[in-house]
Amino acid sequence: MSYLMIDQVTKRYQQQTVLNKISLSLRQGEFATLLGQSGCGKSTLLRSIAGLVDIDEGAIHVDGKNITNMEPRNREIGMVFQSYALFPNMTVFDNIAFGLKMKKKKNIKNRVQRMIEMMDLIGKEDSYPHQLSGGQQQRVALARSLILEPKVLLLDEPLSALDAKIRRNLQLELKKIQREFQITTIFVTHDQEEAMTMSDTIYIMNEGSIVQSGIPSEIYTSPVNSFVAKFIGNYNVLQMDQFQKMIQTEELAIEGQEVAIRPEVIDLVEITADVSNIEEKWIVQGTVQDVSMIGNVIRYEMNVNGILVKVDYLHSHEHFFKQGENLHLIIPKSECIVF
Amino acid sequence: MKFNKIFHKTVLVVLVIYLLLPLAATLIFSIAGKWDHTLLPESITFKWYGELFSDERFYQALLRSLFLILVTVAISNIIMLPTIFIVAVYFRRFERILQAVAMLPYGIPPIVGAVGLIKVYSSGPLQISGTPWLLVGAYFVITMPYMYQGIRNSLQTINAQELVSAAELLGATKFQAFQKIVVPNILSGIFVSTLLSIALLFGEFVLANLLVGGRFETIQIYLYQKLNKSGHTASAIVITYYVIILLLTWIILELKKRPMQFQSVFGKRKQLILVGEKTEGFLKGEHK
Repeated sequence: MSYLMIDQVTKRYQQQTVLNKISLSLRQGEFATLLGQSGCGKSTLLRSIAGLVDIDEGAIHVDGKNITNMEPRNREIGMVFQSYALFPNMTVFDNIAFGLKMKKKKNIKNRVQRMIEMMDLIGKEDSYPHQLSGGQQQRVALARSLILEPKVLLLDEPLSALDAKIRRNLQLELKKIQREFQITTIFVTHDQEEAMTMSDTIYIMNEGSIVQSGIPSEIYTSPVNSFVAKFIGNYNVLQMDQFQKMIQTEELAIEGQEVAIRPEVIDLVEITADVSNIEEKWIVQGTVQDVSMIGNVIRYEMNVNGILVKVDYLHSHEHFFKQGENLHLIIPKSECIVF
Repeated sequence: MKFNKIFHKTVLVVLVIYLLLPLAATLIFSIAGKWDHTLLPESITFKWYGELFSDERFYQALLRSLFLILVTVAISNIIMLPTIFIVAVYFRRFERILQAVAMLPYGIPPIVGAVGLIKVYSSGPLQISGTPWLLVGAYFVITMPYMYQGIRNSLQTINAQELVSAAELLGATKFQAFQKIVVPNILSGIFVSTLLSIALLFGEFVLANLLVGGRFETIQIYLYQKLNKSGHTASAIVITYYVIILLLTWIILELKKRPMQFQSVFGKRKQLILVGEKTEGFLKGEHK
């Protein structure tokens, strides 16, 4: 039995369909990510779960209860906004206590104090949001939601405004907190790497629909179409005629129109090396057109019969080819995905 | 570089002199005794102030003005605040209309407005012509641009929509979100708008004179009457109510400091200066 169930949810703005019959379900404690480019409808979906956007069709159930037409404040759903939306006129303590006060709960002081300890915010009780660092602000925003023990936690790109290093730390922290609280979470991001590292399940959205869903490794290794392939990794996506021109083969022609090959599955060997015993792989000749360094990865742009192909290598000295070098490319047949 | 600095300073000094000179002259004239053929008065006397402060009519007029202003500003806040908030957050498409409406008072000359108001409210179901209530209504209209701009600008500096959403998800109703989150965060804007309105209304003469005149003598009408009798007394009135506005401004800004620790003191100083200049402007206009 799924804990959060979204069933055929549709939302239109005038003539434009922003969400097109979206269905998805999460089990309790699951961390799911909605991944897509800006404008794909992921934030709208998040907001309709929160009740901030009214949906035109479909239903949303949480823990067996239909919340489709409920006011946001009765839904028992927590949300962390991209901007965190901390109340600037209130201290950290009051921000965290706000929900409990609104719900007229008892024992507010102790509960807030406990939450402040759990979130490592001791000493910041009387600070105002603008006096906190990005990480502290995020923890306050999380604490403010979590203290109400929501059934579902929604995270709307909470890390997108931060720089890379802080971002990585906060990803880990967020994941840790999510595990600690065992809270069912939907995370929205446009960053595929972030989605990969954090999620149990990824839902890839495009133009108001879910294109593919699955565990991160599955999505990464077997994209269902060229959109996912281009979005999720740095796949080489080639039209069939380009592919044929490159490999000089008709083998895959009947299977589809496009071929996707991950840059890291292609091997490069020197032209003098013996390649006669290799099976189940295509071997073609190409020239290094460009070399770029992406931290621990070196990316070669290879020109093969006039077609450009990306090849990624881990940064180590034994494989270092120079621009203009002539090489063999070894492409495993099983790694070529045809759409 | 150096020349630039000197130039900037010169401009600033000239501006300050330009703004303060009429005020200084008024102040001197209000305490001048015999002043015929010298640059500065030959003697100094406080008898004009003495006369003024022993005149019952002066206090009456001052109270009437304060009453009008407070009622107007209160109504203005009660109506404009939620309206601007609702339009800015939930009905974006009406924002232009609201803006146009709020700017309308600039386009209507006070005399034309006053004559129209008298005509409309002399007959029909609402016969309030000649009463202070008509003046309150008219004052509400002329303060609208100030209220609108100030409140809307400060609404734009906070992400009102997101804050309300966040509050709602934490269990607040929309009204609670407005009252506990939005209003405290735009207090500075509300204060500035209110102060500008107060300063504007203190100096308002045309509408008051045409709509109620002697039947409800405000400070400006009192000043006008005195102007014909004694320039010294008139000067004393101007200085007195300038001091009152200054005090009022200072009190409100001091009050404001408490719930708004998160704003820098510098921000408040700037607003004080802004209001001060505005007030001077009105005073000067009135003094001609």
